[in-house]
Amino acid sequence: MTTRQLPADTSLRTRLGRMTWKGERIEWSAYFYVLPFFVPFVIFTILAIIFGAYVSFTEWRIIGDPLWVGFANYVRAFNDDFVPKVWGNTFQLAAIVVPGTTILALLFALYVNQRLRGFTASRLAFYAPRVVSVTVVGLVWVWMLDTRFGVINQYLHKVGVPYIPWLTNPDWVLWAVGMTTIWWDLGFHMVILLAALQDIPSELKDSASIDGASALQQFWYVVVPLLRPAISLVITLEIISAFRIFSQIFVMTQGGPAGASFSIIFYIYERGFMNTELGYSSALSLMLFFTILVVTLIQLRIIRERA
Amino acid sequence: MVARLKLVMGAQGRLTVGRVLLWIIGLWLAYMWILPFVWMVSTSFKLPGEVMTQTIEWIPRTWTLDNYRVVFQKPIVRWLWNSMVVTTSITLASIMLGAAAGYALARMNFPGRNVFFMMLLLSLMIPTEMTIVPRFIAFLRLRATDSYAALILPPIAEVFSVYLFRQFFLSLPRELEEAAAMDGASRFRIFRVIALPLARATTIAAAVLLFTTNWNAFLWPLLITFSEEMKTLPIGMAAFAPVTMNRTQIESYAPGMAAMTILGVPSLIVFLFLQRYFMEGVISTGIKG
Repeated sequence: MTTRQLPADTSLRTRLGRMTWKGERIEWSAYFYVLPFFVPFVIFTILAIIFGAYVSFTEWRIIGDPLWVGFANYVRAFNDDFVPKVWGNTFQLAAIVVPGTTILALLFALYVNQRLRGFTASRLAFYAPRVVSVTVVGLVWVWMLDTRFGVINQYLHKVGVPYIPWLTNPDWVLWAVGMTTIWWDLGFHMVILLAALQDIPSELKDSASIDGASALQQFWYVVVPLLRPAISLVITLEIISAFRIFSQIFVMTQGGPAGASFSIIFYIYERGFMNTELGYSSALSLMLFFTILVVTLIQLRIIRERA
Repeated sequence: MVARLKLVMGAQGRLTVGRVLLWIIGLWLAYMWILPFVWMVSTSFKLPGEVMTQTIEWIPRTWTLDNYRVVFQKPIVRWLWNSMVVTTSITLASIMLGAAAGYALARMNFPGRNVFFMMLLLSLMIPTEMTIVPRFIAFLRLRATDSYAALILPPIAEVFSVYLFRQFFLSLPRELEEAAAMDGASRFRIFRVIALPLARATTIAAAVLLFTTNWNAFLWPLLITFSEEMKTLPIGMAAFAPVTMNRTQIESYAPGMAAMTILGVPSLIVFLFLQRYFMEGVISTGIKG
Protein backbone atom coordinates (compact mmCIF):
# COMPACT_ATOMS: atom_id res chain seq x y z
CA MET A 1 0.00 0.00 0.00
CA THR A 2 2.69 2.50 0.94
CA THR A 3 5.16 1.66 -1.82
CA ARG A 4 4.00 3.98 -4.61
CA GLN A 5 2.68 6.80 -2.46
CA LEU A 6 4.51 10.11 -2.22
CA PRO A 7 6.29 10.72 1.09
CA ALA A 8 3.90 12.16 3.64
CA ASP A 9 5.91 15.35 4.12
CA THR A 10 5.33 16.49 0.53
CA SER A 11 3.78 19.87 1.04
CA LEU A 12 1.93 21.91 -1.54
CA ARG A 13 5.02 24.05 -1.76
CA THR A 14 7.33 21.29 -2.96
CA ARG A 15 4.71 19.89 -5.29
CA LEU A 16 4.26 23.31 -6.90
CA GLY A 17 8.02 23.53 -7.14
CA ARG A 18 8.11 20.29 -9.13
CA MET A 19 5.44 21.26 -11.61
CA THR A 20 6.56 21.79 -15.17
CA TRP A 21 5.29 23.72 -18.16
CA LYS A 22 6.51 22.88 -21.66
CA GLY A 23 9.08 20.53 -20.18
CA GLU A 24 10.61 23.08 -17.83
CA ARG A 25 10.11 23.85 -14.18
CA ILE A 26 7.53 26.58 -13.59
CA GLU A 27 8.78 29.73 -11.91
CA TRP A 28 5.72 30.78 -9.98
CA SER A 29 7.33 34.04 -8.90
CA ALA A 30 7.02 35.17 -12.53
CA TYR A 31 3.48 36.29 -11.77
CA PHE A 32 4.85 38.84 -9.31
CA TYR A 33 6.80 40.35 -12.19
CA VAL A 34 4.00 40.20 -14.73
CA LEU A 35 0.85 41.06 -12.78
CA PRO A 36 1.75 44.62 -11.70
CA PHE A 37 1.78 45.42 -15.39
CA PHE A 38 -1.04 43.19 -16.55
CA VAL A 39 -3.62 44.21 -13.96
CA PRO A 40 -3.72 47.87 -15.07
CA PHE A 41 -3.24 46.76 -18.67
CA VAL A 42 -6.29 44.49 -18.54
CA ILE A 43 -8.37 47.10 -16.74
CA PHE A 44 -7.48 50.12 -18.85
CA THR A 45 -7.13 48.44 -22.23
CA ILE A 46 -8.81 45.04 -22.49
CA LEU A 47 -11.80 45.69 -20.24
CA ALA A 48 -12.10 49.22 -21.59
CA ILE A 49 -12.44 47.86 -25.12
CA ILE A 50 -15.05 45.30 -24.09
CA PHE A 51 -16.95 47.95 -22.15
CA GLY A 52 -16.65 50.33 -25.12
CA ALA A 53 -18.16 47.68 -27.37
CA TYR A 54 -21.08 47.38 -24.95
CA VAL A 55 -21.54 51.16 -24.82
CA SER A 56 -21.72 51.24 -28.62
CA PHE A 57 -24.98 49.27 -28.41
CA THR A 58 -26.56 51.72 -25.99
CA GLU A 59 -27.75 55.26 -25.81
CA TRP A 60 -25.89 56.94 -23.02
CA ARG A 61 -25.83 60.65 -22.32
CA ILE A 62 -23.37 60.58 -19.39
CA ILE A 63 -26.10 61.40 -16.89
CA GLY A 64 -28.47 58.51 -16.19
CA ASP A 65 -28.23 54.88 -17.17
CA PRO A 66 -27.41 53.33 -20.52
CA LEU A 67 -30.34 52.30 -22.68
CA TRP A 68 -29.86 49.21 -24.86
CA VAL A 69 -30.59 50.15 -28.47
CA GLY A 70 -29.07 47.22 -30.39
CA PHE A 71 -27.51 48.20 -33.71
CA ALA A 72 -29.18 51.61 -33.83
CA ASN A 73 -25.89 53.50 -33.47
CA TYR A 74 -24.33 51.53 -36.31
CA VAL A 75 -27.40 52.03 -38.52
CA ARG A 76 -27.17 55.71 -37.72
CA ALA A 77 -23.48 55.81 -38.63
CA PHE A 78 -24.26 54.35 -42.05
CA ASN A 79 -27.00 56.92 -42.64
CA ASP A 80 -25.12 59.89 -41.17
CA ASP A 81 -24.19 62.20 -44.05
CA PHE A 82 -21.35 63.58 -42.04
CA VAL A 83 -19.59 60.21 -41.66
CA PRO A 84 -18.52 59.91 -45.34
CA LYS A 85 -17.42 63.56 -45.22
CA VAL A 86 -15.34 62.96 -42.12
CA TRP A 87 -13.76 59.85 -43.65
CA GLY A 88 -13.17 61.80 -46.85
CA ASN A 89 -11.35 64.52 -44.91
CA THR A 90 -9.27 61.91 -43.09
CA PHE A 91 -8.31 60.18 -46.36
CA GLN A 92 -7.44 63.51 -47.98
CA LEU A 93 -5.21 64.35 -45.03
CA ALA A 94 -3.59 60.92 -45.30
CA ALA A 95 -3.09 61.49 -49.03
CA ILE A 96 -1.15 64.67 -48.22
CA VAL A 97 0.71 63.58 -45.11
CA VAL A 98 1.74 60.00 -45.96
CA PRO A 99 3.49 60.58 -49.31
CA GLY A 100 4.74 64.00 -48.20
CA THR A 101 6.37 62.70 -45.04
CA THR A 102 7.74 59.53 -46.65
CA ILE A 103 9.41 61.28 -49.58
CA LEU A 104 10.79 64.18 -47.56
CA ALA A 105 11.93 61.92 -44.71
CA LEU A 106 13.76 59.72 -47.22
CA LEU A 107 15.43 62.70 -48.91
CA PHE A 108 16.43 64.23 -45.57
CA ALA A 109 17.77 60.88 -44.36
CA LEU A 110 19.82 60.47 -47.54
CA TYR A 111 21.27 63.95 -47.06
CA VAL A 112 22.10 63.42 -43.38
CA ASN A 113 23.64 60.04 -44.23
CA GLN A 114 26.19 61.77 -46.52
CA ARG A 115 27.81 63.10 -43.35
CA LEU A 116 28.68 66.44 -44.90
CA ARG A 117 29.79 69.06 -42.39
CA GLY A 118 26.89 70.20 -40.24
CA PHE A 119 24.92 66.98 -40.60
CA THR A 120 24.53 66.52 -36.83
CA ALA A 121 23.04 69.98 -36.49
CA SER A 122 20.74 69.30 -39.44
CA ARG A 123 19.55 66.06 -37.90
CA LEU A 124 18.78 67.93 -34.68
CA ALA A 125 16.89 70.61 -36.59
CA PHE A 126 14.78 68.10 -38.50
CA TYR A 127 13.89 66.19 -35.34
CA ALA A 128 13.26 69.23 -33.12
CA PRO A 129 9.53 69.78 -33.91
CA ARG A 130 8.81 66.26 -32.65
CA VAL A 131 9.85 67.07 -29.09
CA VAL A 132 7.53 70.01 -28.45
CA SER A 133 3.88 69.75 -27.51
CA VAL A 134 1.32 69.73 -30.31
CA THR A 135 -0.09 72.88 -28.75
CA VAL A 136 3.12 74.67 -29.69
CA VAL A 137 3.19 73.16 -33.18
CA GLY A 138 -0.42 74.04 -33.89
CA LEU A 139 -0.40 77.54 -32.49
CA VAL A 140 2.88 78.59 -34.13
CA TRP A 141 1.56 77.39 -37.49
CA VAL A 142 -1.78 79.14 -37.03
CA TRP A 143 0.18 82.35 -36.65
CA MET A 144 2.51 81.60 -39.57
CA LEU A 145 -0.47 80.68 -41.79
CA ASP A 146 -2.42 83.86 -40.97
CA THR A 147 -3.91 85.04 -44.26
CA ARG A 148 -2.78 88.66 -44.21
CA PHE A 149 0.05 88.86 -41.69
CA GLY A 150 1.46 85.32 -41.52
CA VAL A 151 5.08 84.89 -42.59
CA ILE A 152 4.21 82.24 -45.17
CA ASN A 153 1.78 84.38 -47.11
CA GLN A 154 3.98 87.44 -46.78
CA TYR A 155 6.92 85.60 -48.38
CA LEU A 156 4.65 84.05 -51.01
CA HIS A 157 3.23 87.48 -51.75
CA LYS A 158 6.74 88.79 -52.39
CA VAL A 159 7.09 86.34 -55.27
CA GLY A 160 3.66 87.26 -56.64
CA VAL A 161 1.41 84.60 -55.09
CA PRO A 162 -1.93 86.03 -53.90
CA TYR A 163 -2.78 85.73 -50.20
CA ILE A 164 -3.96 82.17 -49.52
CA PRO A 165 -6.73 81.78 -46.92
CA TRP A 166 -5.06 78.72 -45.40
CA LEU A 167 -7.24 78.24 -42.35
CA THR A 168 -10.40 80.03 -43.36
CA ASN A 169 -11.13 78.40 -46.71
CA PRO A 170 -12.46 74.80 -46.90
CA ASP A 171 -10.29 74.07 -49.95
CA TRP A 172 -7.04 75.03 -48.24
CA VAL A 173 -7.50 73.99 -44.64
CA LEU A 174 -6.46 70.34 -45.08
CA TRP A 175 -3.29 71.47 -46.88
CA ALA A 176 -2.53 73.74 -43.94
CA VAL A 177 -3.07 70.97 -41.37
CA GLY A 178 -1.14 68.54 -43.61
CA MET A 179 1.87 70.84 -43.92
CA THR A 180 1.92 71.34 -40.16
CA THR A 181 1.74 67.58 -39.59
CA ILE A 182 4.60 66.92 -42.00
CA TRP A 183 6.77 69.49 -40.23
CA TRP A 184 5.93 67.93 -36.87
CA ASP A 185 6.27 64.23 -37.79
CA LEU A 186 9.07 64.13 -40.31
CA GLY A 187 12.01 63.86 -37.91
CA PHE A 188 10.71 60.68 -36.31
CA HIS A 189 10.44 58.84 -39.63
CA MET A 190 13.74 60.28 -40.84
CA VAL A 191 15.53 58.73 -37.86
CA ILE A 192 14.02 55.28 -38.62
CA LEU A 193 15.11 55.53 -42.27
CA LEU A 194 18.52 56.83 -41.25
CA ALA A 195 19.07 53.81 -39.01
CA ALA A 196 18.14 51.54 -41.93
CA LEU A 197 20.47 53.43 -44.29
CA GLN A 198 23.36 53.01 -41.89
CA ASP A 199 22.77 49.26 -41.83
CA ILE A 200 23.46 49.00 -45.56
CA PRO A 201 27.00 47.66 -45.96
CA SER A 202 29.10 50.12 -47.94
CA GLU A 203 30.76 47.22 -49.81
CA LEU A 204 27.51 46.73 -51.71
CA LYS A 205 27.54 50.27 -53.04
CA ASP A 206 31.28 50.12 -53.69
CA SER A 207 30.98 47.00 -55.78
CA ALA A 208 28.06 48.52 -57.69
CA SER A 209 30.12 51.61 -58.45
CA ILE A 210 33.09 49.49 -59.58
CA ASP A 211 30.69 47.79 -61.98
CA GLY A 212 30.00 51.24 -63.40
CA ALA A 213 26.67 52.08 -61.76
CA SER A 214 25.92 55.79 -61.51
CA ALA A 215 24.89 57.33 -58.20
CA LEU A 216 21.24 57.23 -59.29
CA GLN A 217 21.51 53.59 -60.37
CA GLN A 218 23.21 52.72 -57.08
CA PHE A 219 20.37 54.38 -55.22
CA TRP A 220 17.63 52.69 -57.24
CA TYR A 221 19.08 49.17 -57.52
CA VAL A 222 21.03 48.85 -54.28
CA VAL A 223 19.69 51.26 -51.66
CA VAL A 224 15.94 51.22 -52.34
CA PRO A 225 15.49 47.41 -52.26
CA LEU A 226 17.41 47.20 -49.00
CA LEU A 227 15.40 50.05 -47.52
CA ARG A 228 12.07 48.51 -48.47
CA PRO A 229 11.24 47.03 -45.03
CA ALA A 230 12.02 50.34 -43.31
CA ILE A 231 9.98 52.29 -45.87
CA SER A 232 7.03 49.91 -45.41
CA LEU A 233 7.26 50.35 -41.66
CA VAL A 234 7.34 54.13 -41.98
CA ILE A 235 4.32 54.09 -44.31
CA THR A 236 2.36 51.80 -41.96
CA LEU A 237 3.08 54.02 -38.95
CA GLU A 238 2.14 57.11 -40.95
CA ILE A 239 -1.16 55.66 -42.17
CA ILE A 240 -2.10 54.67 -38.62
CA SER A 241 -1.21 58.09 -37.27
CA ALA A 242 -3.04 59.81 -40.15
CA PHE A 243 -6.22 57.98 -39.13
CA ARG A 244 -5.69 59.26 -35.62
CA ILE A 245 -5.12 62.95 -36.35
CA PHE A 246 -6.83 64.94 -33.65
CA SER A 247 -4.74 67.39 -31.64
CA GLN A 248 -3.58 69.49 -34.59
CA ILE A 249 -7.20 69.96 -35.59
CA PHE A 250 -8.27 70.73 -32.05
CA VAL A 251 -5.61 73.43 -31.70
CA MET A 252 -5.66 74.84 -35.24
CA THR A 253 -9.20 74.71 -36.62
CA GLN A 254 -11.70 73.02 -34.27
CA GLY A 255 -12.90 71.17 -37.37
CA GLY A 256 -13.69 74.32 -39.30
CA PRO A 257 -14.29 76.12 -41.52
CA ALA A 258 -17.74 74.62 -42.16
CA GLY A 259 -16.63 71.16 -41.04
CA ALA A 260 -13.96 71.02 -43.74
CA SER A 261 -11.27 69.77 -41.36
CA PHE A 262 -13.28 67.35 -39.22
CA SER A 263 -11.17 64.20 -38.94
CA ILE A 264 -12.69 60.93 -37.81
CA ILE A 265 -11.27 61.21 -34.28
CA PHE A 266 -12.33 64.81 -34.04
CA TYR A 267 -15.87 63.72 -34.94
CA ILE A 268 -15.75 60.97 -32.28
CA TYR A 269 -14.64 63.61 -29.78
CA GLU A 270 -17.28 66.11 -30.89
CA ARG A 271 -20.15 63.57 -30.71
CA GLY A 272 -19.05 61.96 -27.46
CA PHE A 273 -17.85 64.89 -25.44
CA MET A 274 -19.38 68.02 -26.90
CA ASN A 275 -22.80 66.44 -27.51
CA THR A 276 -22.57 63.71 -24.84
CA GLU A 277 -23.63 60.98 -27.29
CA LEU A 278 -21.34 58.36 -25.79
CA GLY A 279 -23.03 55.40 -27.46
CA TYR A 280 -22.76 56.83 -30.94
CA SER A 281 -19.23 57.98 -30.26
CA SER A 282 -18.27 54.43 -29.17
CA ALA A 283 -19.81 52.92 -32.29
CA LEU A 284 -17.76 55.30 -34.43
CA SER A 285 -14.54 54.43 -32.60
CA LEU A 286 -15.19 50.70 -32.99
CA MET A 287 -15.61 51.23 -36.71
CA LEU A 288 -12.34 53.16 -36.79
CA PHE A 289 -10.63 50.34 -34.93
CA PHE A 290 -11.75 47.77 -37.50
CA THR A 291 -10.63 50.01 -40.33
CA ILE A 292 -7.18 50.41 -38.79
CA LEU A 293 -7.00 46.67 -38.15
CA VAL A 294 -7.85 45.85 -41.77
CA VAL A 295 -5.36 48.39 -43.11
CA THR A 296 -2.62 47.07 -40.82
CA LEU A 297 -3.31 43.46 -41.80
CA ILE A 298 -3.27 44.32 -45.52
CA GLN A 299 -0.01 46.21 -45.01
CA LEU A 300 1.53 43.27 -43.15
CA ARG A 301 0.37 40.88 -45.87
CA ILE A 302 1.96 43.09 -48.56
CA ILE A 303 5.22 43.31 -46.62
CA ARG A 304 5.30 39.53 -46.05
CA GLU A 305 4.65 38.77 -49.70
CA ARG A 306 7.41 41.07 -50.86
CA ALA A 307 9.89 39.74 -48.37
CA MET B 1 40.13 75.91 -53.74
CA VAL B 2 38.79 72.38 -54.06
CA ALA B 3 40.76 71.28 -51.04
CA ARG B 4 39.47 74.20 -49.00
CA LEU B 5 35.87 73.50 -50.01
CA LYS B 6 36.35 69.88 -49.05
CA LEU B 7 37.61 70.97 -45.67
CA VAL B 8 34.62 73.28 -45.15
CA MET B 9 32.09 70.66 -46.20
CA GLY B 10 33.73 67.86 -44.29
CA ALA B 11 33.38 65.76 -47.43
CA GLN B 12 35.18 62.50 -47.96
CA GLY B 13 35.66 61.02 -51.39
CA ARG B 14 35.08 62.75 -54.69
CA LEU B 15 33.96 66.35 -54.70
CA THR B 16 31.21 66.84 -57.27
CA VAL B 17 28.88 69.71 -58.10
CA GLY B 18 26.07 67.49 -56.86
CA ARG B 19 27.61 67.07 -53.43
CA VAL B 20 28.30 70.78 -53.03
CA LEU B 21 24.69 71.51 -53.99
CA LEU B 22 23.43 68.83 -51.58
CA TRP B 23 25.50 70.36 -48.80
CA ILE B 24 24.10 73.85 -49.40
CA ILE B 25 20.48 72.71 -49.86
CA GLY B 26 20.65 70.44 -46.81
CA LEU B 27 21.92 73.17 -44.52
CA TRP B 28 19.39 75.63 -45.94
CA LEU B 29 16.54 73.19 -45.28
CA ALA B 30 17.71 72.55 -41.72
CA TYR B 31 17.75 76.30 -41.19
CA MET B 32 14.25 76.65 -42.64
CA TRP B 33 13.05 73.81 -40.42
CA ILE B 34 13.78 75.70 -37.20
CA LEU B 35 12.59 79.11 -38.41
CA PRO B 36 9.07 78.56 -36.96
CA PHE B 37 10.69 78.41 -33.52
CA VAL B 38 12.64 81.60 -34.21
CA TRP B 39 9.43 83.29 -35.34
CA MET B 40 7.67 82.09 -32.18
CA VAL B 41 10.35 83.50 -29.87
CA SER B 42 10.61 86.71 -31.86
CA THR B 43 6.84 87.34 -31.77
CA SER B 44 6.74 86.65 -28.05
CA PHE B 45 8.94 89.69 -27.36
CA LYS B 46 7.01 92.09 -29.60
CA LEU B 47 4.52 94.70 -28.46
CA PRO B 48 1.05 93.41 -29.39
CA GLY B 49 0.58 96.44 -31.64
CA GLU B 50 3.76 95.60 -33.56
CA VAL B 51 2.93 91.98 -34.29
CA MET B 52 0.80 92.50 -37.39
CA THR B 53 3.14 94.30 -39.73
CA GLN B 54 3.12 95.00 -43.45
CA THR B 55 6.61 93.57 -43.83
CA ILE B 56 8.20 90.67 -42.01
CA GLU B 57 10.18 91.76 -38.99
CA TRP B 58 12.30 88.98 -37.55
CA ILE B 59 13.68 91.24 -34.83
CA PRO B 60 11.18 93.05 -32.59
CA ARG B 61 11.13 96.83 -33.04
CA THR B 62 10.55 97.25 -29.31
CA TRP B 63 11.47 94.46 -26.94
CA THR B 64 8.89 93.82 -24.25
CA LEU B 65 8.07 91.31 -21.55
CA ASP B 66 4.39 92.33 -21.42
CA ASN B 67 3.26 89.16 -23.17
CA TYR B 68 4.96 87.03 -20.54
CA ARG B 69 3.16 89.03 -17.85
CA VAL B 70 -0.14 88.21 -19.54
CA VAL B 71 0.74 84.52 -19.59
CA PHE B 72 1.69 84.52 -15.92
CA GLN B 73 -1.77 85.79 -15.02
CA LYS B 74 -2.89 82.22 -15.71
CA PRO B 75 -1.99 79.58 -13.10
CA ILE B 76 0.88 78.28 -15.22
CA VAL B 77 3.08 77.42 -12.25
CA ARG B 78 0.31 75.11 -11.06
CA TRP B 79 -0.01 73.61 -14.58
CA LEU B 80 3.74 73.09 -14.71
CA TRP B 81 3.63 71.36 -11.33
CA ASN B 82 0.76 69.14 -12.51
CA SER B 83 2.66 68.20 -15.65
CA MET B 84 5.77 67.38 -13.61
CA VAL B 85 3.92 65.22 -11.09
CA VAL B 86 1.86 63.41 -13.70
CA THR B 87 4.63 62.84 -16.23
CA THR B 88 7.21 61.77 -13.67
CA SER B 89 4.82 59.32 -12.01
CA ILE B 90 3.76 57.77 -15.32
CA THR B 91 7.35 57.46 -16.52
CA LEU B 92 8.63 55.85 -13.31
CA ALA B 93 5.67 53.48 -13.07
CA SER B 94 5.86 52.49 -16.74
CA ILE B 95 9.57 51.78 -16.45
CA MET B 96 9.21 49.66 -13.31
CA LEU B 97 6.19 47.71 -14.54
CA GLY B 98 7.69 47.38 -18.01
CA ALA B 99 11.10 46.19 -16.82
CA ALA B 100 9.64 43.55 -14.51
CA ALA B 101 7.09 42.23 -17.01
CA GLY B 102 9.61 42.38 -19.86
CA TYR B 103 12.13 40.41 -17.81
CA ALA B 104 9.63 37.71 -16.88
CA LEU B 105 8.47 37.39 -20.48
CA ALA B 106 12.05 37.06 -21.69
CA ARG B 107 13.50 34.79 -19.01
CA MET B 108 10.97 32.97 -16.88
CA ASN B 109 8.86 29.92 -17.64
CA PHE B 110 5.23 30.05 -16.54
CA PRO B 111 1.81 29.08 -17.89
CA GLY B 112 0.19 31.96 -19.75
CA ARG B 113 3.41 33.53 -20.95
CA ASN B 114 2.48 33.25 -24.61
CA VAL B 115 -1.06 34.42 -23.97
CA PHE B 116 0.29 37.52 -22.23
CA PHE B 117 2.64 38.22 -25.08
CA MET B 118 -0.04 37.78 -27.75
CA MET B 119 -2.27 40.19 -25.86
CA LEU B 120 0.50 42.77 -25.94
CA LEU B 121 1.09 42.35 -29.65
CA LEU B 122 -2.61 42.64 -30.44
CA SER B 123 -3.02 45.73 -28.30
CA LEU B 124 -0.37 47.51 -30.37
CA MET B 125 -2.95 47.59 -33.17
CA ILE B 126 -5.60 49.23 -31.00
CA PRO B 127 -5.72 53.00 -31.21
CA THR B 128 -5.79 54.49 -27.70
CA GLU B 129 -8.66 56.69 -28.85
CA MET B 130 -10.86 53.59 -28.75
CA THR B 131 -10.48 53.26 -25.03
CA ILE B 132 -11.18 56.94 -24.37
CA VAL B 133 -14.97 56.80 -24.02
CA PRO B 134 -15.09 53.76 -21.69
CA ARG B 135 -12.23 55.10 -19.56
CA PHE B 136 -13.99 58.42 -19.31
CA ILE B 137 -17.27 56.81 -18.23
CA ALA B 138 -15.47 54.66 -15.67
CA PHE B 139 -13.76 57.64 -14.04
CA LEU B 140 -16.98 59.61 -14.16
CA ARG B 141 -18.89 56.83 -12.41
CA LEU B 142 -16.18 56.51 -9.78
CA ARG B 143 -16.37 60.30 -9.31
CA ALA B 144 -12.64 60.36 -9.93
CA THR B 145 -12.38 62.76 -12.87
CA ASP B 146 -10.30 65.90 -12.55
CA SER B 147 -7.77 64.17 -10.30
CA TYR B 148 -4.15 63.01 -10.41
CA ALA B 149 -5.37 59.40 -10.32
CA ALA B 150 -7.35 59.93 -13.52
CA LEU B 151 -4.37 61.56 -15.23
CA ILE B 152 -1.77 59.04 -14.06
CA LEU B 153 -3.39 55.58 -13.88
CA PRO B 154 -4.62 54.88 -17.44
CA PRO B 155 -1.31 55.54 -19.22
CA ILE B 156 0.96 53.58 -16.83
CA ALA B 157 0.42 50.20 -18.50
CA GLU B 158 2.54 51.17 -21.50
CA VAL B 159 2.98 48.17 -23.80
CA PHE B 160 5.90 49.76 -25.57
CA SER B 161 7.93 49.75 -22.35
CA VAL B 162 7.40 45.99 -21.79
CA TYR B 163 8.26 45.29 -25.38
CA LEU B 164 11.47 47.30 -25.25
CA PHE B 165 12.68 45.54 -22.08
CA ARG B 166 11.69 42.10 -23.34
CA GLN B 167 13.69 42.64 -26.52
CA PHE B 168 16.67 43.80 -24.54
CA PHE B 169 16.66 40.90 -22.07
CA LEU B 170 16.26 38.40 -24.91
CA SER B 171 19.38 39.84 -26.52
CA LEU B 172 21.34 39.56 -23.27
CA PRO B 173 23.49 36.40 -22.98
CA ARG B 174 22.20 34.09 -20.24
CA GLU B 175 25.61 33.02 -18.90
CA LEU B 176 25.99 35.79 -16.35
CA GLU B 177 22.61 35.09 -14.81
CA GLU B 178 23.19 31.35 -14.85
CA ALA B 179 26.47 31.76 -13.01
CA ALA B 180 24.74 33.82 -10.35
CA ALA B 181 22.01 31.18 -10.04
CA MET B 182 24.73 28.53 -9.49
CA ASP B 183 26.04 30.64 -6.63
CA GLY B 184 22.58 30.46 -5.10
CA ALA B 185 21.29 33.94 -5.90
CA SER B 186 17.52 34.22 -5.92
CA ARG B 187 15.65 35.20 -9.06
CA PHE B 188 14.83 38.62 -7.68
CA ARG B 189 18.46 39.22 -6.76
CA ILE B 190 19.58 38.23 -10.25
CA PHE B 191 17.02 40.57 -11.78
CA ARG B 192 17.88 43.50 -9.55
CA VAL B 193 21.65 43.16 -9.25
CA ILE B 194 22.63 41.71 -12.63
CA ALA B 195 19.99 42.09 -15.34
CA LEU B 196 18.55 45.50 -14.52
CA PRO B 197 21.87 47.40 -14.27
CA LEU B 198 22.82 46.02 -17.69
CA ALA B 199 19.62 47.48 -19.12
CA ARG B 200 20.74 51.02 -18.34
CA ALA B 201 20.71 52.26 -21.94
CA THR B 202 17.30 50.70 -22.59
CA THR B 203 15.96 52.28 -19.42
CA ILE B 204 17.16 55.73 -20.40
CA ALA B 205 15.86 55.43 -23.98
CA ALA B 206 12.47 54.22 -22.71
CA ALA B 207 12.36 56.93 -20.04
CA VAL B 208 13.10 59.72 -22.51
CA LEU B 209 10.45 58.49 -24.92
CA LEU B 210 7.84 57.91 -22.20
CA PHE B 211 8.54 61.27 -20.65
CA THR B 212 8.14 63.25 -23.89
CA THR B 213 5.06 61.31 -24.98
CA ASN B 214 3.33 61.88 -21.67
CA TRP B 215 4.57 65.44 -21.23
CA ASN B 216 2.96 66.26 -24.57
CA ALA B 217 -0.15 64.09 -24.07
CA PHE B 218 -3.21 65.92 -25.26
CA LEU B 219 -6.51 64.08 -25.72
CA TRP B 220 -6.84 62.29 -22.37
CA PRO B 221 -5.78 65.21 -20.14
CA LEU B 222 -8.08 67.46 -22.19
CA LEU B 223 -11.09 65.25 -21.48
CA ILE B 224 -10.47 64.30 -17.89
CA THR B 225 -9.62 67.72 -16.42
CA PHE B 226 -12.31 70.32 -15.88
CA SER B 227 -10.92 72.79 -13.36
CA GLU B 228 -8.10 75.21 -14.05
CA GLU B 229 -6.12 73.77 -11.11
CA MET B 230 -5.95 70.25 -12.55
CA LYS B 231 -4.92 71.10 -16.12
CA THR B 232 -1.55 70.04 -17.44
CA LEU B 233 0.68 72.58 -19.15
CA PRO B 234 -0.19 71.75 -22.81
CA ILE B 235 -3.92 71.77 -22.05
CA GLY B 236 -3.82 74.99 -20.07
CA MET B 237 -1.69 76.72 -22.70
CA ALA B 238 -4.06 75.62 -25.48
CA ALA B 239 -6.39 78.32 -24.17
CA PHE B 240 -4.08 80.80 -25.90
CA ALA B 241 -5.05 79.41 -29.30
CA PRO B 242 -6.84 82.19 -31.16
CA VAL B 243 -9.52 79.71 -32.28
CA THR B 244 -10.61 78.89 -28.78
CA MET B 245 -10.11 82.46 -27.59
CA ASN B 246 -11.49 85.01 -29.96
CA ARG B 247 -10.48 85.19 -33.57
CA THR B 248 -11.09 88.90 -33.83
CA GLN B 249 -8.77 89.56 -30.95
CA ILE B 250 -5.81 89.73 -33.24
CA GLU B 251 -3.28 90.90 -30.70
CA SER B 252 -3.65 87.50 -28.98
CA TYR B 253 -0.83 86.15 -31.14
CA ALA B 254 1.77 87.92 -29.02
CA PRO B 255 0.82 86.45 -25.60
CA GLY B 256 0.07 83.19 -27.38
CA MET B 257 3.63 83.01 -28.67
CA ALA B 258 4.96 83.88 -25.20
CA ALA B 259 2.96 80.96 -23.83
CA MET B 260 4.30 78.68 -26.57
CA THR B 261 7.86 79.80 -25.85
CA ILE B 262 7.43 78.88 -22.19
CA LEU B 263 5.93 75.54 -23.21
CA GLY B 264 8.27 74.64 -26.06
CA VAL B 265 11.74 75.98 -25.30
CA PRO B 266 12.41 73.81 -22.20
CA SER B 267 11.58 70.69 -24.24
CA LEU B 268 13.96 71.82 -26.96
CA ILE B 269 16.76 72.41 -24.44
CA VAL B 270 16.29 68.98 -22.87
CA PHE B 271 16.32 67.47 -26.36
CA LEU B 272 19.57 69.24 -27.16
CA PHE B 273 21.26 67.61 -24.18
CA LEU B 274 19.73 64.15 -24.46
CA GLN B 275 19.42 63.89 -28.24
CA ARG B 276 21.31 60.60 -28.42
CA TYR B 277 18.69 58.90 -26.23
CA PHE B 278 15.85 60.41 -28.23
CA MET B 279 17.26 58.89 -31.41
CA GLU B 280 17.86 55.53 -29.73
CA GLY B 281 14.29 55.50 -28.48
CA VAL B 282 12.97 56.10 -31.98
CA ILE B 283 15.17 53.40 -33.45
CA SER B 284 13.92 50.87 -30.90
CA THR B 285 10.34 51.83 -31.84
CA GLY B 286 11.33 51.15 -35.41
CA ILE B 287 12.56 47.69 -34.55
CA LYS B 288 9.31 47.09 -32.72
CA GLY B 289 7.24 47.43 -35.90
